[in-house]
Order: sequence, then C-alpha cells, then structure tokens
Amino acid sequence: MFQSKKPTSMNSTHERVVVVGNTNNNNMCVQGDSGLVLTTDPKPRLRWTVELHERFVDAVTQLGGPDSQYLNINDLSKFLMHHVPPMISYMFSYVAMDLHLYVVSFLLLTSSLYKFSEATPKTIMRVMGVKGLTLYHLKSHLQKFRLGKQPHKEFSDHSSMKDGERASALELQRNTASSSGIIGRSMNDNVHITDAIRMQMEVQRRLHEQLEVQRHLQLRIEAQGKYMQTILEKACQTLAGENMQNSAGYVINHKGMSAGNNQEVGVPNGMKDFGTPPLNFPSLQDLNLYGGGGCQDEQLELQQGMERSSSALLDGFINITDHNNNISQLAGKKRLSPNYTTSGSGANGKSPLIMWSDDLRLQELHGTSASCCIGSQDHDPFIKGDHHHQIQNIGLSMERGSSDIDSSVSDLNYETKPMQLAGGEIKKFDPSARLERPSLRRAQQLSAERMSPIINLPQGRASPFG
Amino acid sequence: MVVDELDLSDYSPTTTATTTTTEDDHGCNWNGWSPVVDWDMLSGDHDDFHDLIESMMDDKTMLHHHHPARVLNVHDGCNSAVSPGTVMMMDEEVTNNGGGGQDFKGLRLVHLLMAAAESLTGMNKSRDLARVILVRLKELVSPTDGTNMERLAAYFTEALLGLLEGAGGVHGKHMLNNGPCHRDDHHQTDVLAAFQLLQDMSPYVKFGHFTANQAILEAVGHDRRVHIVDYDIMEGIQWASLMQALVSRKDGPPAPHLRITALSRGGSGRRSIATVQETGRRLVAFAASIGQPFSFHQCRLDSDETFRPTTLKLVRGEALVMNCMLHLPHFSTYRAPDSVASYLSGAKTLNPRLVCLVEEEVGPTMDGGFVGRFMDSLHHYSALYDSLEAGFPMQGRARALVERVFLGPRITGSLARIYRARGDEESCSWGDWLGAVGFHPISITFANHCQAKLLLGLFNDGYRVEELATNKLVLGWKSRRLLSASVWTSPNSEL
Repeated sequence: MFQSKKPTSMNSTHERVVVVGNTNNNNMCVQGDSGLVLTTDPKPRLRWTVELHERFVDAVTQLGGPDSQYLNINDLSKFLMHHVPPMISYMFSYVAMDLHLYVVSFLLLTSSLYKFSEATPKTIMRVMGVKGLTLYHLKSHLQKFRLGKQPHKEFSDHSSMKDGERASALELQRNTASSSGIIGRSMNDNVHITDAIRMQMEVQRRLHEQLEVQRHLQLRIEAQGKYMQTILEKACQTLAGENMQNSAGYVINHKGMSAGNNQEVGVPNGMKDFGTPPLNFPSLQDLNLYGGGGCQDEQLELQQGMERSSSALLDGFINITDHNNNISQLAGKKRLSPNYTTSGSGANGKSPLIMWSDDLRLQELHGTSASCCIGSQDHDPFIKGDHHHQIQNIGLSMERGSSDIDSSVSDLNYETKPMQLAGGEIKKFDPSARLERPSLRRAQQLSAERMSPIINLPQGRASPFG
Repeated sequence: MVVDELDLSDYSPTTTATTTTTEDDHGCNWNGWSPVVDWDMLSGDHDDFHDLIESMMDDKTMLHHHHPARVLNVHDGCNSAVSPGTVMMMDEEVTNNGGGGQDFKGLRLVHLLMAAAESLTGMNKSRDLARVILVRLKELVSPTDGTNMERLAAYFTEALLGLLEGAGGVHGKHMLNNGPCHRDDHHQTDVLAAFQLLQDMSPYVKFGHFTANQAILEAVGHDRRVHIVDYDIMEGIQWASLMQALVSRKDGPPAPHLRITALSRGGSGRRSIATVQETGRRLVAFAASIGQPFSFHQCRLDSDETFRPTTLKLVRGEALVMNCMLHLPHFSTYRAPDSVASYLSGAKTLNPRLVCLVEEEVGPTMDGGFVGRFMDSLHHYSALYDSLEAGFPMQGRARALVERVFLGPRITGSLARIYRARGDEESCSWGDWLGAVGFHPISITFANHCQAKLLLGLFNDGYRVEELATNKLVLGWKSRRLLSASVWTSPNSEL
C-alpha cells in the first residue's frame, strides 16, 4: 500500500498498477487501487490529475483555504459563490455605508467563518478521504497550490519555500498547465469577487469599529443623562426648599378656571412632607406636556381631565414622594392611575393642576390671593391665565411606570411648563434607556421626571413669565 | 383692483380695521385722509410692495374691530420725491386658503421681514418705515402661536425692533438688555427645562459636545494629566460624557487626572460666577461618583470679557485642551466677538494640544450686506425651527419654550452682530480665523464621524452630517448647514 510517508518509498509497493498513459511530461502513469495516479519513473510520484486536484481544492475550500492563518480571499469567494446565493455575494461587492448591510454581511461572514478551520495537510487528508494520499503529498501540493493561487505574487514571498521546492513548484505549474489552467481561469474570474471581498473585509473592519463606537456612544449618552438628572434634582431641591417656606400660604386650586371645579385644599401638610427625595426630571416624555399631543382644544382636555380626576389636588403630591402614607392622609385620593394616554389628544388631566403664578394672574383667574396649581405628575393641565388659558394635559407616560411626576407650572403667558412638585419622588426614569428614535414614542413617554420645577411663588416673586 | 387699507394706527395690538369698501383705483377716496403711504416712492420696485400689501390683506389677522383706518404719513421719512401715493385698503374678505394659505402667509411674512430689514439699512433707509412694517408684523405674528414661520417671524420682528430702538446698534449689549428675550429674565428653571428639551429634541447640543469629546479623547490618549479650558461651561454637560469615556478608557493610563478650568464672566456678575461655581461642584460630585480624578478651577475674564492667558494656572506635563462652544445653548446672549477672539488668540500663546471649536455655520454670505445676511440668518433659523418641528410635531409648547429661552435671544444676538458688522468686511467663521492665525487642522477620525452619524440616527432623518474639511464636521438639516465642529492644534504643541 502506499502508506509510506515518503514518496520515494513508493518503489516498494507491489500494488497492482494500471498503466494510465502518457502525460505531457512523458512519464508513464499508473493508477493504483486507491485511484491515485502514479508515475512510473524510478521515483513514483503522485500525479495530480485534474480530478484529484479538484477534490483537493474542494477540501481546501471547505477548510478555509490554503492559508491557514487568514482567510484566503479566493477561497472565500469560491466558497461564497457556491454556498451563498449569487445575489448576496454580489451585494458584498458593494461597499455600502449602511449599517444594516454591514450587519448582514457581517453575520453572513461570521456564519461562514465558523465553517472554516485550518487547512493543514492532515485536515485536508481527512477531508478528502482519498486512500494513498500521504501528508507529504498534500504538503507539497498545498504549497504549490498556494503559489498557484497567487500568480502575481513573487515566489520569493514564500519564505518557507526552499529554492528547490520553488523551482519544482514552477515546473509543476508549467507542467500542470493544462490541469491547472482550468483552475487558474476560474480563479481569474474571481478577480472582481476578490476585490469585492477585499472591500468586504474592509467593511467588516469598519463594522467592528462602528459597533464599538455605538457602544461608547450609548455609554456617553447615559452619562450625560445622569449628569443632567443631577442638575435637575438640585434645582428641584432648591425650589423645594423655597417652596417649603411658603407652603403655609398656599391655596391649591384645582383646575379652578375652566372647569369651575374649585376645590381648594389646604396643603400645608402635604407640602411639609416633601423632603428631598430623588427627583427625576421629566425628559423628553414631558414634551407631551408642551405638546398636548397637538390637541388644540385644550379646554376640552382640561375638562376631560377634570372630570376624571376627582381629587385634583395632590395627586401630584401623592405620587411624588416616598411619603405616600403622609400623602394619603391628604386625600383618599387615588393615585394617578396610569391611564395617561400619551397620545396627542392630551392626557386626561387627572391630577390637579396646581399653578404657581404670581398674584396678579391668579387673582384674576381665581380671585384668590395665592393659588398654586401644581400640575400633577401625570399630566399637567396648564391653566393659562384667563379663560383662554389652556390647560395642557401632560401625557406623561404611565407606561414608564413613572407614577411620580413633576408637575410643572406653566408660564401663564406662554406655554405651560411642567412643574416639579417639590420633594416629589419622581420615579426614576432612565433617560439613557432610550436610544431609539425619539419619535412619538418618546413623546409619549413623558414622565415629568426631568422637568425642572418651575415654581413661582406667588408672593413677592417676579413672574418670569412676562 | 382691490385696494387694501393698512391700519397703521397707534402701535396697539388691536389689529387693522377692515372696511368693506373696495376701491377700484388707487388714490381716489383718500384725499380726506391725512397721511398717505407712499408705497411707490418707497419701494424701488413697484410690484414688490404692491404684492406686499396685497399679501398683507389677508386672512390671519383677527379682523374683529372696525376702526376707521388711519394711515401713517411716512412722507417725512422718505428721501426722494413723492409721487401720488397709493393707499391700500384692507379688504374684509378673508381669503381662507387651505394649505396654500400657509405657505402664502409664510412668504408674505418673509417679504415683510425683508422689507423691514431693507428699510433699516437698505437703500431707502427709513426708520419710520421700518417701524411701520415691524408694527404691522407684530400684529400678524405671535411668538407662541401659529406655524413655524410665524413664530420665527415674531422673534425676528422683535429682534429688528430691538435694533431699531437700539439707536443704530451702537451699544449692542444695551440693546439686548432691553430686549424682551434677555436671558437673565428667564427663570432658572425655565432655562433648565428648555435646555433639557433642546437636548432631547435635537442633536445640536450633543453633536457639538460629542464630537469635541471624541477628538479630545483621541488627542490625549496617552496622557496622565489633562487640562481643559472651557470658554463657556454653562452646566458642564459636555464633561460628563467625557469623564465617563476617560474612566472607561482601555488603553493608556487608566484614568488620567482631569482638570477643568471654566471661564467666568466677571463683568456680568450676579449669576455667572455663582453658576460656574455650582457647575464645578456638580462636576466634582459626578466625577467622584464615577471614579474620575478631577479638579475644577475658575478663571475670571476681564470686565470686557477678554481672556488673558496669564490668569490661567498651568501645570507642567499636562495636555492642554481649549474648548470653545459657540453653538446653540451657549450663545444665547450676545458674546462680543472680541471676547472670543481674545480667547482664541490667547489659546495660541498657550500652545494647546487641541482646540475644539463648535460654532454656527453661516451660509456663504456674499455682499448682501445686512439684508443678505439677514435673509441668510432667517434661512438658518427657519431650518432650525423646521428641524425641531419635524422631530416633534406635536409638542408645540415645548418647542415654543425652547424658542423663547434659547432661540429668541440667539436670534436677537446674531442680528445684532450682523447689524454691527454691516459696514465691515465679511465676517468669517471662527474656524477660518483659526486657520488663518496659524492653527493646524487635525483630521476627524472615522470613529468620530461614525459617532456623529450614529447620533444623528437617533433623531430625525432630515439631519445629516458631512465632512466639509478634514477637520470639520458639519451638522445640517436637509440642505442647510447649521453647526460645524472643528478640531485644531497648535503648531508648536508637543504631540
């Protein structure tokens, strides 16, 4: 059998051989049992027929190409050509700047990569499954194959090659021109694919980088959001502090204006309960505060809101703090239930609107000296001054589970701003959680968490609103 | 044709009177009326003003009252000879076009604004005419209602009015102090809320900050000490993400010591120093929370806001970075160009490792003079408004707040700047200035560019980022460039 490790030992075989015929090097070739074609010269050498070579190439490609260290582009291309629908591989040839394409290509690549392993003589032998093929056969042929696949490259590039082998490689190449010609031609057809694949590799590198960048970006945005929160919290606290001082004098008017539901509740107790709990300021979600979902008829909203919310007042207070127990004494008021619809139609004004405005305005509004309307967390209908004031319902999203909301006091003249309930515990809203498009979804998820408190104390405080 | 009546009575908010009479020819019945607006004389081009006035004949304004019309006599303000004036009478018919009406109205507003700008500085310079037009404009628009164009026109109107009353804009700052949109008037919480909203609604703030931060990170990759001088630190938002990035840096020294010096404006007193100190405290707390070695310093500017490099405390061996953010929230009040110039030239003497500059991108202003730049500025801000609206069409009030707090003052400031520079040569951007002074550009890396693109991907589709020069990234909305972030280095800095 041809189990000898050295080609020279083929002499010792007593295998039944079949004369195959002449090849262009005028050697007699015989074919053994194993299907291998051997030359009949004193040193029988394995003849790499086209058929055998193709099997060899197939095995090599399966294993990831002749170059075990890195992907061989040609093999990859051939592999892709065979295994991947032509359309996709054609797509690879375009360097698209689209992340999706990167992802797709990357995934495809990685999936195909997993099939690749090292192409060593041993593995090739295993894969080919041809009897009589020895490691030496494969080793030398593999080297020649590598050389042959890069016809442009200098043979001297292969430092591992010895001169003799190099010469023989050259000779082999010439000699097997016929057999390898076909292979070469098919390789040349892949030049374009080669370039495309090279670009693809570049793209893949870029893709890696992009993923890195994206990860970092996410972290940075988060950090910024956290920092922003600290700012707003501090602002809230300062306002809460000021608020506490004036808590005694407040009369909370519950949406007095438009709906005519003037419930006045003394709030001192509730307000005292405001500590300095962590406050989350409304974020983008609070935009609903401003937008009201585009519903122009805010009067309507207000009325709806008012109908729904029974205890106007201090829902905001209630929800805000940790001291729910304290608040509960304020009202058996139900918590602002999360039926805040964030849709543009404006959330129901469930919570009372406590407006902090200066004396003047409120007086004309309510006829009370100092009325504060605190928009509840859920939403803040903002009462804007006189009858034309519009209460804007803040579609604070309960979806986020933010039961705590900063109510915002509106600028009676302009728009209303969400007002931070002093000391309210705003549900922790993680602004960084959203990296998606801040579209309606964000708008919907208003949580007054990040709104800075705008508490304009009635007495002796210049109205910033105009 | 229908002649319109323009009510230019007392500058009251009550709107124009409407009469139902329509006149077929121009000056027929108006002899009884004392003043006559001589539109023909005022406008170089007949048709402009006719169209203008016709355009004013319409819908929108509340035509509730019926006052006798009085037309202001602007003869006195006019320079050239008088030709029989044409008096327009406002027709009562309110042309209620549908969608077309809006565009129409926007166009009319633009015409009016342009007319006002022209009358302020143009050929037919007439303050009275400008006043007339502006009053009229003021009646048409309101800062909180209406479409983008209307609100924008309202702010521009106010800005122009400010210019008008500013006695020629000699004292820019005084003028702004009288303006309705003075920054300090805003309650602190308003400012915060608006800032938060601005951040969330648009990428402007983040774009500038993140681009600069990324450039800084790349430049100080292997340094142990980093010193950043910030021209306008505001709330210190930018540095939060930088600190986070520094802390999680993989290569180089684990967490370089970061030192930030913030410039505080001593001149304006009150809030500025306290704000900066507060910001410093916050930054220190934040840095402590993430484990970043950090120290904060303040450096006072002169009363005229000139930066003196010698007042800066430098430590040997640290990488110096000069940060100069001139874009949206930072520039709400008017910053004298001299101040910025002094800062940047002072930067040159310090040989910083890096200079980060983020500024507004102005269009190519040829020799349009004031009007040209005015229109360019109008274009710029309308793009801004559009971008805000496109992202959040529903949240009109939020946008109105942002506009009031930030954009309005900014409009006023930039108009003031344009007005002051109207006689001068073309104002170049600070980036060009830096290049001219001798700073070398540092190219924006792929990572930076990629980050910008990803960031914009979080927002609306209309934003785009382009790389104008190797060291400059420009953020734009649709086809209008808005912000540019550029990175420079001093030629002598040890790199």
